[in-house]
Amino acid sequence: MELYEEIIQMMQEGEEEEVVALVKKCLSEGKDVQEIINKGLIAAMDIIGKKFRKGEMFFPEVMLSATCMHAGMKILKPYFKASSKKQPAKFVIGTVAEDVHDIGKNLVAMNLSAAGFEVIDLGTDVSPEKFVQVVKKHNPKILGMSALLTTTMPHMKETIAALDSEGLRKSKRLKIIIGGAPVDQEFADEIGADFYGNDAMEAVTIAKSIVTGKGK
Amino acid sequence: MIGNKFNPLSGEEIELIHSSSLKVLEEVGIKVENDSAYEVFKKNKAITSGDLVKIPRSMVLDALASTPSKVVLYGRQQQHTLELEGREVHLGTGGAALNVIDMDSKEPRKATLRDIMLLAKLVENLEYVDFYIRPVVAQDVPREELDVNKYYASMLGTTKHVMGSVYSIKSFHEVKELASIIAGSLESLKRKPFISFITCWMRSPLTLDPQATEIMMEVVREGLPVVLSSAPMAGSTAPITLGGCLVQLHAEILSGLALSQLVNPGTPVIYGYVPSAANPISMDYLGGSAEFGLLNAGAVQLAAHFDLPNYSSAGLTDSKIPDAQAGIEKALSILQVAMAGGNYIHHAAGMLESMLTVSYAQYVIDNDILGMVSRILRGIEINSNSLAFDVISKVGPGGNYISQKHTARNLRKEYFFPKVMDRDLRKEWTAKGSLDLWQKANHRVKKILSDDQPPKIPEDVDSQIRKTFNILIKGH
Repeated sequence: MELYEEIIQMMQEGEEEEVVALVKKCLSEGKDVQEIINKGLIAAMDIIGKKFRKGEMFFPEVMLSATCMHAGMKILKPYFKASSKKQPAKFVIGTVAEDVHDIGKNLVAMNLSAAGFEVIDLGTDVSPEKFVQVVKKHNPKILGMSALLTTTMPHMKETIAALDSEGLRKSKRLKIIIGGAPVDQEFADEIGADFYGNDAMEAVTIAKSIVTGKGK
Repeated sequence: MIGNKFNPLSGEEIELIHSSSLKVLEEVGIKVENDSAYEVFKKNKAITSGDLVKIPRSMVLDALASTPSKVVLYGRQQQHTLELEGREVHLGTGGAALNVIDMDSKEPRKATLRDIMLLAKLVENLEYVDFYIRPVVAQDVPREELDVNKYYASMLGTTKHVMGSVYSIKSFHEVKELASIIAGSLESLKRKPFISFITCWMRSPLTLDPQATEIMMEVVREGLPVVLSSAPMAGSTAPITLGGCLVQLHAEILSGLALSQLVNPGTPVIYGYVPSAANPISMDYLGGSAEFGLLNAGAVQLAAHFDLPNYSSAGLTDSKIPDAQAGIEKALSILQVAMAGGNYIHHAAGMLESMLTVSYAQYVIDNDILGMVSRILRGIEINSNSLAFDVISKVGPGGNYISQKHTARNLRKEYFFPKVMDRDLRKEWTAKGSLDLWQKANHRVKKILSDDQPPKIPEDVDSQIRKTFNILIKGH
């Protein structure tokens, strides 16, 4: 158990090299890959998420921890597929049409992949048609859209309409989550999005609750 | 923290003020209605006539030479040690206010001994308040028992340095004995004084207060640290011009230094002042004036020019409640005096209505002001890490710094994070109840005061104190 506690500690401190070394040590001691992820890396990100909520950690520090998570996962990846029982949930993400602001979107994507999602990032200026096409191809659990400009927010509504006109939310049990500086819960309700994430950490919490079936 | 970033007076102007002050002492003199002080001056060849004492230049120069250029005030924990010298900055509470704004009703009420203890506990937990001057006069305690009880209540709540004034020679000795019991002995108290005294020995203009002078001389004989505090009001008890006010203030304090150094050469005395302008309508003291900060900053320069540890004032306001006026007036004077380099800046937290009322919430708000001012004093650090070429080059055009290690590693030390200033987005602010600063500060006060912290006087010492003195507040 002590090794996991060390991983959790080093993740909080954002010490990438230490985390990598500890993960390797776990492997050399013959620990189960899934256990290393759950009791080490994911347990750390849970604690970090809680500390962020309480204002005890700052966002750039969380991002540094997420980098450590990535580094740890990279070590585990070769072993991961063999021992994994189920595939990670897919999450398609993009900034909507005519909007090229991607910092927030990238942060969400990074945190999602740190939390174990398979993230399909479509980048910026993604048209409704493109979103529909990708959803059909990849069958994601969740689709996330981001907008920074008040003028591009309406494209979220158009995208949802395009997805619904093909019945994708029903047939593929797809959930839609939106976010971005000018976006709020009221807007999400208005355009019929399933969820609104206030920030990158909340987006992950919601995504996890969708996967575990605890979402609304 | 070092000030010396704001100097309203030039070196030449300081010399002009100083020579005018010497001239005032030599030609105008001070009124001394205290016999023992009068005798000391007379014996040392000051020119006396009636109750007037004219102080020769040489006496002042001798005093300047023998006054220590550094006074160390201790707390009862190592980290609370305060070194008063040069432009070293420390910030803390002040005052002898009569009223407290009640936390729940938000109305003023009479201050009590319990307030002194609770405010001490609050200050113990405020990160940027360095010392505790008992802020209020407890009105539920008989005057004869007040001094020992107020020092006791202060030390029960905080281990930071405690300062106050005393009413009589008798109560000075009681307080000294109280502190000696806590220190273990008078010798250890003198070695590391964690309490000290303020004497308002000067009644401006240029008149010694007979009773306070008696007490001042007694503290000086004991060799315990003492502040010589003069509080001239420009326009009523001092000239209306700021320059003239400083000339008189400087002369007054020099006369006190002379007296203290004649009584006990080398004794630690602190150059103290609470100057401001008088309100030309009511003739009351104006704590929130822009001139208040300027006068105090100028006086910091005068003290520092002669290597004298100083006690200055900032953070007063004429507002009656913790509102925008209070914030503006406090921030401006605290910033001025801290940037000047006041060694022991009192009144810097909690005070309202000039010096008449304190508010629990205001201490918490002012703690944030002090934090911001401390950050400003720290300035902009320049070194290879802060110049950040490596990370600029790593991020490159069009990237962002949010996920960079350089950002995560530097943000806590580079930025000050206030405790109660609102930084939420409107939606979060609304979700948390749309609280204003006063309400937020009250929450923090209640959180700190409801936290179960052991009394700062150990139980065995406490029972020893209670055998010696009539302590009127519950300890353990």
